[in-house]
Amino acid sequence: MLQGRPISRAFRALALGLLILWLVLPLIPLAIWSFARGWRFPDILPQDWTLQAWTYALSDTSGVLGSLGLSIGISAGVTLLSVLIGVPAGRALGLYRFRGKGVVALMILAPTIVPGIAVALGIHTVFIGLGLTNSVTGVILVHLVPTLPYMVLVMAGIFANYDPNHEAQARCLGATPLQTFRHVTLPAILPGIIVGAMFAFLVSWSQYILTLLIGGGRVVTLPLILFSFATSGRNDIAGAIAMIYILPGLVILALTARHLTGQNRAITAARP
Amino acid sequence: MSERLRIVLLLGPALLVIGVLFFGGLGVGVLRSLNYMPVIGLTDPNFDAYGALLTSRAFYQSFLLTFHIAFTSTVISAVLAVGAALLLRRSFAGRSVISFLFQLNLTIPHLVGAIGILYLFSQSGSFARLGYAWGLIAKPADFPALVFDPYAIGIILQYVWKEVPFIGLVVLANMQSIGQDHESVARSLGASRWQAFRHVLLPLIFPGLLGASVIVFAFTFGAYEIPLLLGQNHPAALPVLAYRQYTDVDLAARPQAMATAVVIALLSAAMIWLYVRLARHSLWRE
Amino acid sequence: MPITRRALLTSAIAVALLPARHAFGDTADGKALIAMTWDEVVEQARGGTVNWFMWGGADNINQYVSDHIGGQLKADYGITLNRVGLTDTVEAVNIVLGEKEAGVLDAGTVDMIWINGENFRTMKQAGLAFCGYTHLLPNNTLVNWDSPAIANDFGTPVEGCEVPWSRAQFAFAHDSAKTPAPPRSIADLIDWIKANPGQFTYPAAPDFNGAVFVRHVFYHVAGGHETLLGPFDQAKFDDVAAKTWALLNELEPFLWRQGQTYPTSITQLNELFANGEVALTFDYDASQFGLAVQAGRFPDTTRSYGLTDGTIGNTNYTVIPFNSPNKAAAMVLQNLLLSGEAQFEKARPEIWGAAPAIEISRTSPEIQGQFAAIKVPPQVVSSEELGKVALPELQAGWISAIEQGWIANVAQK
Repeated sequence: MLQGRPISRAFRALALGLLILWLVLPLIPLAIWSFARGWRFPDILPQDWTLQAWTYALSDTSGVLGSLGLSIGISAGVTLLSVLIGVPAGRALGLYRFRGKGVVALMILAPTIVPGIAVALGIHTVFIGLGLTNSVTGVILVHLVPTLPYMVLVMAGIFANYDPNHEAQARCLGATPLQTFRHVTLPAILPGIIVGAMFAFLVSWSQYILTLLIGGGRVVTLPLILFSFATSGRNDIAGAIAMIYILPGLVILALTARHLTGQNRAITAARP
Repeated sequence: MSERLRIVLLLGPALLVIGVLFFGGLGVGVLRSLNYMPVIGLTDPNFDAYGALLTSRAFYQSFLLTFHIAFTSTVISAVLAVGAALLLRRSFAGRSVISFLFQLNLTIPHLVGAIGILYLFSQSGSFARLGYAWGLIAKPADFPALVFDPYAIGIILQYVWKEVPFIGLVVLANMQSIGQDHESVARSLGASRWQAFRHVLLPLIFPGLLGASVIVFAFTFGAYEIPLLLGQNHPAALPVLAYRQYTDVDLAARPQAMATAVVIALLSAAMIWLYVRLARHSLWRE
Repeated sequence: MPITRRALLTSAIAVALLPARHAFGDTADGKALIAMTWDEVVEQARGGTVNWFMWGGADNINQYVSDHIGGQLKADYGITLNRVGLTDTVEAVNIVLGEKEAGVLDAGTVDMIWINGENFRTMKQAGLAFCGYTHLLPNNTLVNWDSPAIANDFGTPVEGCEVPWSRAQFAFAHDSAKTPAPPRSIADLIDWIKANPGQFTYPAAPDFNGAVFVRHVFYHVAGGHETLLGPFDQAKFDDVAAKTWALLNELEPFLWRQGQTYPTSITQLNELFANGEVALTFDYDASQFGLAVQAGRFPDTTRSYGLTDGTIGNTNYTVIPFNSPNKAAAMVLQNLLLSGEAQFEKARPEIWGAAPAIEISRTSPEIQGQFAAIKVPPQVVSSEELGKVALPELQAGWISAIEQGWIANVAQK
């Protein structure tokens, strides 16, 4: 393909430069605020710098580190459950044809079309009776609603391109079901599991209203504490918490980045 | 083990979770909205909540606002995402940086982006301060109202910021797996760049694009914390309205909150169904 | 003799279980607690936990509660204080309400709520509050229950269902460098708004501070609060409300953003003020202005003031829900909050600057001396200054009617 004439090359360079700037732009004032002691109009940069926001955020009183641990724990639990429940369901939808498959697929994917708040109010009423409100268990369960469809979607795509004959061959050669799974199935579906798990973690990681409603304000995950500081005028602490909040996502990205290119069939196959 | 049984066992847990939590929650919501809850003694179902809701001006204002936000965000994001994917599919200097930033954006939660947008675009935010430094404005009120404004510009900006990489990556992955052969053939037969794109590539990536757009539309329609942070006080987005009604001390507002939630569910499903039908129709009628 | 042995075994088990039940610190039985002496209550509370739900929008208050109060509670009684921050007190009331609805009668999530006004009335009327125990608290003698401002919470008689914590009085603030001559009465404010378009706004109800501002306008339109005291009167309300909404709607084009939107909360209003988008702000708690200046959020030239025709003041309280499982610990906490030392600590301007709810004259001479030595920073108008003209709150029926009326007639146009 043509490399492009100078004008279109310059245009492309400009477009890309703006794109790069645009992608990181919202993070900049957050980072600056976390080191500022008051930052009022019309100052472009704060006149007074301090580490006070960070020391408070990392202290015991603020509860931020506790929230970090809690959020990681909840999202990890949700991810694990999503994998355990979603992989088999993806296999069923990807490998088999059966009557009612369309209906089943629609049911499982329904939560991506219907917003969480529509069902969360009803779930809250049920959970009060079951004693699951204000509990971490309840929050983990309710997070499954938006994360499971993503997991199933990705895995169904993977399994649609998967040849079950490999498993039959391994069994013929004398492998036990467990060995077959470990050495034949798992390596083939692992990229999909990684992508699906990443989606599941991120969806759970960014949940706000579901955690607020079901957790009753007692299960304080990072988004809740961030929102609370951001809306109580403590922009400096909010900035520090925001920086802490995006960290685990970055770590996960670093670990799974190579799976996100186009070569990964998990993404191309991820269409409803 | 029979295949039927195997399928049931594989699907069982997922259907159980979705069935109980999602459909159960929806079902209870419907019951509560009809004021029917024998557990606490309400045994007289009625449509009062829906009546009150559908005759309230606030509801229609909220619906229009929420639809505007979702539709505008989705369309703009989809168009920009396709453009970005076209840019990114060829190799060039800086491509890995952009790819990385796209993926980075995926991991940043909406709330963080929203707070950042607030600090950037409020009338006393970073852009306003730059405007003041360059002598373009004399006081905050001179800067255009981009947050807490009637057109929800700040909210749409935030959604576009977050969803262009999401849709972009899906479309890019599709483009890469499709390859460039089809377009090459079309170009060699005399088609222009635009024609090759419009009639060859676009139909091929359309299913993926549509799928991602549907997810974005549903999300932006039902999101709570972003309109709460960046939006006007009144009219508020539908999810904000529902939550306010649910946490009203006046328990009589509870069925109305449930009714709002049910309406949100119905509206999302209906709009998405319509969207998919229309899009498929218009594109395949070539 | 098997019967005797069985009886012995049963009673042995019962006796063995008794301290086990006590050791879990479950003090849900309010009636039993009321029948005890204070020392017995304290013993029941030792080593327990108390979950205190309170508005979390000011982290100086959060720090005072978590560090100072929580630390003392732990050191003196071994009780763990779990402070739960809320955006709106009604969230806690809803939790208790939902639990009562679901039949959760002695294992509630909430042990104490920082509360007053309509929320307290909701709790009292729905039977959600634990009542009749306040005479047990030793520091209860420091409270002047004869004062109608304390014995009545927004017109609802307290009747032993809650314990006072602080007094507050509404005050305005301006940046003396930018706005040297702010309006000092509601009438002047109305003229000032028209003369300075886009420079003023107020938070939308149901924000606490926004709602009380609207009530100031309501008093002004009614020509004073005297005619409004007493139970809710629909006819009188309709008459004054109609004129109030007309006035506020008339002012809308002169407000920030031409009144198309209002800030959602007092913190949003403070942001606008800090950045110079509006010229005035206000708060129920004038000490917040001093703290904001200290933290660099407000300019040093901020000054606060009351109004010539007075501003509304009230008392705020803490209440224990009927289904709290940690009532003894909550009672110990309430007693601690009433103590002279805790009330003084909270009155220090660098901590909070909150006016005490106890009679200082009833505390020890050292505490009285400490109170007398408090230096109020220049940005904060002193509570004596404000107290010269303190207007009472109306009964809760008026409050909710005014709030609903504002939302329907001004916000929604």
